[in-house]
Amino acid sequence: MELLNPSHEQQRAGSAAPPRLDTLKGAIIGVISNGKENTVPFFDRVESILRERYGVAKVVRRTKLNYSAPAEVDLMSEAMGWDAVLSGVGD
Amino acid sequence: MDSPSSRIDAVDFAAAQELYHSRGWTDGLPIVPPTPELVQACLDWAGLPSEHLVGIEPVRERTITAEKLAINSVMAGCLPQHFPLVIASFTAMLQEDFLLHGATASTGGCAVLLIINGPIRRDLEMTGTFNALGNADRASSVIGRAVRLGLINLLDVRPGEIDRSTLGHPGKFTYCIAEDEENSWWPSLAEERLGVSEISSVTAVAAMAPRQIMNEWTTDPEEICDTIAAEIRANQLHYSIWAGNYTVVVPGQLRQHFNDAGWSKADIRNYVFQQARVKRGEWAGVGKGSVVKDRADREYLAMDSPDDLLVVAAGGPAGGFAQIIPPWLGTKSRASTVAVGACVDCEVP
Repeated sequence: MELLNPSHEQQRAGSAAPPRLDTLKGAIIGVISNGKENTVPFFDRVESILRERYGVAKVVRRTKLNYSAPAEVDLMSEAMGWDAVLSGVGD
Repeated sequence: MDSPSSRIDAVDFAAAQELYHSRGWTDGLPIVPPTPELVQACLDWAGLPSEHLVGIEPVRERTITAEKLAINSVMAGCLPQHFPLVIASFTAMLQEDFLLHGATASTGGCAVLLIINGPIRRDLEMTGTFNALGNADRASSVIGRAVRLGLINLLDVRPGEIDRSTLGHPGKFTYCIAEDEENSWWPSLAEERLGVSEISSVTAVAAMAPRQIMNEWTTDPEEICDTIAAEIRANQLHYSIWAGNYTVVVPGQLRQHFNDAGWSKADIRNYVFQQARVKRGEWAGVGKGSVVKDRADREYLAMDSPDDLLVVAAGGPAGGFAQIIPPWLGTKSRASTVAVGACVDCEVP
């Protein structure tokens, strides 16, 4: 019998991942927290590793207003000025 | 049929089951093999072309088309006349305030509760009486299941993929209820939320499992609401303290007591709103003392306003039971009500 595929079949409306950075040295890295309490010590540690081990020039720390929703438009606009963004969860 | 979806060949019914299970396209239960003819019948009933864009889930940039929903509806066991409610359900879930990605990806473990109102219930023989929220009627079962299969196949809401729920609940197979408008004196949920009577609609709620209560020992509406509010407070302390769209399902016996006392849905909402609130310090009594901190006297309301309590008339006629359905982690997701767009009284094209 002939049937139809129920999956999305990789239909996407738009964007693609940017290319990887060649190096982190001298880069501006944004860190977007979802706002949960344990992101603070977690990203503290990540920030120190980025600075001390990889020579990142600047780490910009930001927090989303709603941990279950995408980052706000203003925050995404600001991120355009960074070389890369880390966005992770912590609970 | 000119379908944008790719074709799958299976030698017979049993092979189709194994093929679809193996590709992660089911909920683990048998499916109706979605032949092009059955899928086209759904599209014809709703009067929609296969490419019709129902919406886009913005976080994952996934397009939701009528044909893909029709395929998943057939798999769930839907007849063509069930399909407009599946379309309306996704339309409701894709409203921005519903926060579909968060609600389906969260560790918090919610499902999507669908509340059906209006004439379409009668056309589809959705009863809203005995065993409501269980296997009450065919339409409720398959419409709720179609929505779940759509989430699985169109948004990858599979356990361990997008669905990161620590614990789920049985509503993740199907979670659909019709309001018992014929046996209720109250305005329907649709009338309250859309301001129009005799309109078919779906209300989608990001919802936890139902919590059943019983109070058969009073006819006093305030005492009945005290039991309802106590269960909500328990949920605030044991699950999430944040305010949100709580749903209370009120069956016939308790509705009779409210009616005898002249209580409207609004009276219930206003009373429960006043009673359903806890202080942060109460967390200390349920093992959460470490997060009380210096805010023990801070008060948390279960709803931001009385209107956030959804009162639904449903359930069998006898028994002093009701059900409280808590929201998923508060106001991050808002209940969403949309009218059914297709003409269910029209002849099949």
